[in-house]
Order: sequence, then structure tokens, then C-alpha cells
Amino acid sequence: MGRKNRIDKTGAEEGALPRMVLRLFRQALRDVTLNPWAQLLTLAAVTLVAFLVGLCLMAVTTLDHQLNTSRGETVFQVYWRPGTDQSKVDEQWQRLRLLPGCAHLRSYTPREALRELEGRIGRNSSARNFPFLNENNPLPATALLTFTPDAQDYDRWLAETTSHLAGLEGVERVASTPLRDELGQAWRTVNSYVLRPVILFLTLILGLVVGNTVRLAMLSKAQEVEILRLVGAHNWYIRLPLLVIGGLQGLAGSVLALFLLRFVHMQIDQALNFPPILMEIQFLSLQTTALMLAVPALLGVAGGWVGIKR
Amino acid sequence: MIDVRHISYSFGPHLALKDCSFRLDKGEFLFLTGASGAGKSTLLRLLFADLALQRGEAAVAGFQLRRIRSADIPRLRRRVSIVFQDFKILPQRTAYDNIILPLQARGMDNAHAHKRVMTVARALGLEKKIHALCADISGGEQQRVAVARAFVVNPRIMLADEPTGNLDPELSLLLMELFKKFQQYGTTLIVATHSPFLLASHPGARVMRLDNGMITQANWSGAVLHQFSSIGPSADFNRPRTR
Repeated sequence: MGRKNRIDKTGAEEGALPRMVLRLFRQALRDVTLNPWAQLLTLAAVTLVAFLVGLCLMAVTTLDHQLNTSRGETVFQVYWRPGTDQSKVDEQWQRLRLLPGCAHLRSYTPREALRELEGRIGRNSSARNFPFLNENNPLPATALLTFTPDAQDYDRWLAETTSHLAGLEGVERVASTPLRDELGQAWRTVNSYVLRPVILFLTLILGLVVGNTVRLAMLSKAQEVEILRLVGAHNWYIRLPLLVIGGLQGLAGSVLALFLLRFVHMQIDQALNFPPILMEIQFLSLQTTALMLAVPALLGVAGGWVGIKR
Repeated sequence: MIDVRHISYSFGPHLALKDCSFRLDKGEFLFLTGASGAGKSTLLRLLFADLALQRGEAAVAGFQLRRIRSADIPRLRRRVSIVFQDFKILPQRTAYDNIILPLQARGMDNAHAHKRVMTVARALGLEKKIHALCADISGGEQQRVAVARAFVVNPRIMLADEPTGNLDPELSLLLMELFKKFQQYGTTLIVATHSPFLLASHPGARVMRLDNGMITQANWSGAVLHQFSSIGPSADFNRPRTR
């Protein structure tokens, strides 16, 4: 038995790497069961943090969508006096639709407004309608006009249109507040100063949570790690199962968080879709969903790496 | 294979090794003797790069320990096996799992690794306990698991710290026969021991005695045993193994 042959058989042979990596992945899956409670708690923490990040991203997506679809639009809310003859109001609505620059008109008769109100208030209540108001409805007819003006002098156009609408027979009040402009401005501020830092902060927490668990897993395997070092295992061989655990926790946490987000979205998607807000809450785009899956997994690996290095 | 020149090592203010030099060629066998705390384990740990060299130079299996990079330590340890006094085995794993560990770390395929593990286990009389948890087997059996783990990789250099401390004379002899067999195949061995019985089992081996971290005697075991029998057993040689 020659020394050379023996060493060749003992050393890391060619083609051994895939076999070793496969074995280490299997070992990582087994290691998850070593500290099931610690792993479960970490999974819960990762899910919660990823869920919070997802909520923030949902807010970002919704408001971005809203800004993109309403950019350059001006919205007028026109209220008629209660008791105004509805047939006259209907005629006015027909004429308003033909105004230059009018992109959309959404109208509510007093009865429709009442039904809308019943729907909103009664959704989670036993008082689903207000029969006593049918004969004495206090709500006015309302129209929501969306314009895409291309006027050179916007301020003059705004003043003239407001004046025209206010002069219609039976109109009590016209609100032409540039609601969406203000919303956009507020959104940019919130996005810059609150949401982005919050997302960054939560992402950092995600990395720390996973890193700490991997560190814990490593401490529980301290004896094994020491022995592996003694028998000549390379650092990557010792670390790979721990990094896999970190990545799996990140991935599993983000998948659970996405399911939770989908469920929550189904419950609240129409919650803000009423005048004057009319905002449908958007779910995450495909791209953001992919990021929601990839980033926690990568953060898990990175957190695991830091946890081992510390 | 091993070339040690003027190495010293201290744990804080305590000097554990003082200016030690020796050289071992391929296939040589060295017994390291001396009282507890004489520096035997420190010397073995230095040769295994478990401790960083502080002073002097040492070359082991082609690696200069003074300049060894941390990335090269696993490569050194693939050429050098060690058996520790406290075995360093995983109690919650089976004997089989413990022995196969270094082969798995080298990426050996399962069939080949299994064959090797079973061969070594048979040679050390472990075949009946091979699937028992290490926590459930005796100290002597645990020690044999640790020895088997070191043997299974066919190391170029084998370091053993009191490898027969928990074994009866019959098993100690069996182990010495295995050591000698590996020596015949060219493995260089250093065995730290208190046991004159072990020295007597290999009269052709070299013996180096350490006292307070200094090499005080270097001879052939036959000569040492002759001297030992003429002056009577020293307290050190009869002292029970301490852990």
C-alpha cells in the first residue's frame, strides 16, 4: 500500500465537492431540528419583520400607483343642495361629461350615496341599513369630476372651472382642492423621511434576528465545530450548514409573510376606495414579491455569516 | 517529516516549553514521556497547530508552523492526526458517525468511507459497538473510537496523547501493534505516555523525556527501559494517568 495512493484516497478527491455540498445541505436540514424552539421563534420573528416590511412596501406600491394614475389630474367635488330635483341634476351631469378636459365623472344620487354609506357603516355591523332615512334622506347629490387640463394658465383655468361649477343651478358647494397634489407631496415626504428608513431599519433587524439564531445554533454545535476543525474540515464545510439554515429561515419567513400579506390585502383592498380618497390598496408587484422572497433569504445567509464571524 | 528548532511556549507568565529541538523522519516512532504538566500536551498541540508558535521554528509535514496561514491549517490536519487525552468525540453520535467524520470532511464517497470505518473498527475491536451512541459506551471504548478516527484517514503523522490511558494491557498491546503497523507503512508517530509497559512494547522506538518544559533525555526506548529497570521505577512512571 503506497503512501501516494493512500493519500490520494484520503484527500479531497475530484468530484467530491458536489457530494459534500449535498451532504451538508442534508445536514443543515437535520440541524434545524436540533433547537426546534429557537428555530420556530426565529421563524416567527422573521415572518413578523418581513410582514411589517411587506406592509410598508404595500403602502409604497399603493401610493405610487395612485400617483402614477392621477398625475396631472385635478378633481372637483360638487355638492348639490339636498332636495334638488334629481332630473335637473341628471341633465347637468350629462352636460358636465361633455366639458373640455373632463376625463371621468362619478356621480351619486342621494339614494346611491345613502346605499354607499350603509355599505360602509354596516359592513361589520348588524345595522346594515337606515330605513328611517329613505323618506327623509339628508344626503345631497354629489359628483366627482376628474379633469386632465392642458390649459397654459392653470390657475385661471382652475378659477374659471370652479366658478362655472359653482354657478350651476342647485349647486351648494364646490371643492376643488388639489387633493392629489397635496397627497403626492405628503407622500413624498413620508416616503423619504419615514417609510424608507423604516424599511431599512426592519431589514437590518431581519439580518440581526437571523444572524443571532445562527450564532445560537453554532454555540449549540460548538463541540462538533471544534472536532470538525481538528479533523481538518475547511471553514466552508463547517459554515455551510449554518448559512443554509440562515437562508432557509429567511426564505420560509418571507413566504409566510407573503401569505399573511395576501390575506390582509384581501380584507382591506377596498378599505380606502370611497370618495374623495378612491384609493384601491394595491398588492405587491411581481418584482417586489420576488424581492420580498430573495432579500430575506440573502439576509439570512448574510446574518448567518456575520453570526459565525462574530 | 517533523523538524523542531528552539521552540518555547508560555501560557501567560508560565513557561510551558523551553528551547526544545528535535527531528523525526518519515516512519519514526517517538515516545514522549514526563510528569503531568511537563509540556507533552503543549508540544503535541503546537505540532498540530492547535496553538500558535511563539518562539522558534517548526516544520511539520511540509508546513512551516511559524508562517502557516489559517487557510492552510485544515490542510496540515489532513496530513496529521491527533488523539487527545479527553478523546474529543461527540457523545450524542454513534461510534460510526464519529469515526467517519474526517472522511466526510474530505469528501470521500459513502461506500469507500464505510469500508474504511469498518476495517479500522474491526482492528480496534469496536465492531460490536459501532452503532452505539458514544455516551453509552465505556471510557476505553470511547478512547478506541478517538484512536479509530485518527487512524481512518491514514495520516502521514500521528500524534497521540495518552492513547492507552483507559485501556487494559491487552487492548494497549493491540493498539501498539496497530501503531507499529502504521509505522511500517511510513507513518511518523509521537505518543505521549506515562506507561513503561507501552515503552517496553516497542524497544526500537525513540524516547524523549520532558521536565518542566525542557527536553532532559533523548534515547532509544530499550536503553531507557534498561536504565529504568536498573534504578527502579520513578514516581512519574507509576503515577496514575491524570485528566
